[in-house]
Amino acid sequence: MTCDEVKEQIADYLTGGLSRSAAGEWNAHLAHCAACKQEVEALAETWRLLGLLQQEQPGAAVRPRFYESLDAYRQGIESATPRPARRRFFDWGARGWMPAPIFQVAWSAALLMVGIGAGQWLTARDRNRSELARLENEVRHMRQMVTLSLLEQQSASERLRGVDYAYRVEQSDTQVLAALLHAVNYDPNVNVRLAAVDALRKFAGSPAVRSTVDRSLAKQESPLVQIALIDFIVDTNDKGATPSLEALERNPAVNKDVKERAVWGLSQLQ
Amino acid sequence: MPETRADNVLMQKVRDGDLAKMAVLFERHHHALFRYFLRLSGNRAASEDLVQDVFLRMLKYRHTYRDGNPFTAWMYQVARNAHLDSAQKRKSETPLDGEREGLHSEPASAEPDPGEILRRRQDLGLLRRALAALPLDKREVLVLSRFQNLKYEQIADILACDVGAVKVRVYRAVKALSQIFFDLAGEKAS
Repeated sequence: MTCDEVKEQIADYLTGGLSRSAAGEWNAHLAHCAACKQEVEALAETWRLLGLLQQEQPGAAVRPRFYESLDAYRQGIESATPRPARRRFFDWGARGWMPAPIFQVAWSAALLMVGIGAGQWLTARDRNRSELARLENEVRHMRQMVTLSLLEQQSASERLRGVDYAYRVEQSDTQVLAALLHAVNYDPNVNVRLAAVDALRKFAGSPAVRSTVDRSLAKQESPLVQIALIDFIVDTNDKGATPSLEALERNPAVNKDVKERAVWGLSQLQ
Repeated sequence: MPETRADNVLMQKVRDGDLAKMAVLFERHHHALFRYFLRLSGNRAASEDLVQDVFLRMLKYRHTYRDGNPFTAWMYQVARNAHLDSAQKRKSETPLDGEREGLHSEPASAEPDPGEILRRRQDLGLLRRALAALPLDKREVLVLSRFQNLKYEQIADILACDVGAVKVRVYRAVKALSQIFFDLAGEKAS
């Protein structure tokens, strides 16, 4: 075996993959080639040490995040799949045994025969209303899922889309609100944090929003986000945040522009 | 390998609409994927995000999975793309300095020697620094071969090259790592 052939087989040697015959030639070469022996020993030591590096485990939040994403994805697909109109708008439950064409003909006839079909018409109207309410609920649920799913994405632009989607959910949606508050405090991207602060205005009536914005003010490192939070406090006339603004003004480490904005904010709240 | 075959069957089911089967694949592979990303990036939070990203990508692009394709190779191809996209966005990789000094995976010693433990701890610290200093392509082939315990044939599938090329790359990567490691150790000793 030559020195080059030893180099070619080092990868197999490291993983214990040398054949018996190759191992014999390998050992014979190393017995008389000090350079190859030294190189192999150094690489084998490095390889061995690599095996001693700790195998880290992912955090506990990884699993629930995945399952939430998977559920959202599945529900998104199911919601996107069009259902037959008969089932969607005329789901009669226990009367579902009635074949569709016959039912439709009967329904048309009922509409034509005013008076005879009045009772049935009233019933159908109620059911249609209930179906519309169900559809509206489904759309609400879908928007919530899309928002939460986007806010979880790796890509900042996707998360921005998630913030944008948050404008379409109900003010009472606490899950989306929690995701936005989390984004304000912890999103690594400044643009997402800024957009999330803006989106919070929709939820400004919530006490949780005010207290989070108040606490976030001291934690934020980006002057842009701090200024956005001050503006939010002023716009919502949150006098409870006065001590936080005063603390910001006194803190020598705070950016000059932020301090000026805090002074302005305090004057507006008086 | 039965496990691999089962993975392939599960992925085929996912592709054909049984999305819930992705949960089984997640349970089998998310730890390994997390360690793959952590060894490449050194950033725990980013690695956890990338794990989510890989499984979402596999759901989104499930139609591209072909019968008979080894699932592991396909999954790591998706993972590589996710990491490359993420690295481009971050522009520069975070140094691998966020890890704890760990000796948990060391074989138990009958007589623990504090001096030996300290020396080993220092060695592992230097090794992490050396690994972080390695160019990404070399670090990647080492991560796949040493930490993910993939066979050279599987790595060849992932990297889209032949087995011989993988072996050459592994040799060059260990050699480069070894050089940086012993240089750092020399600096420390001098």
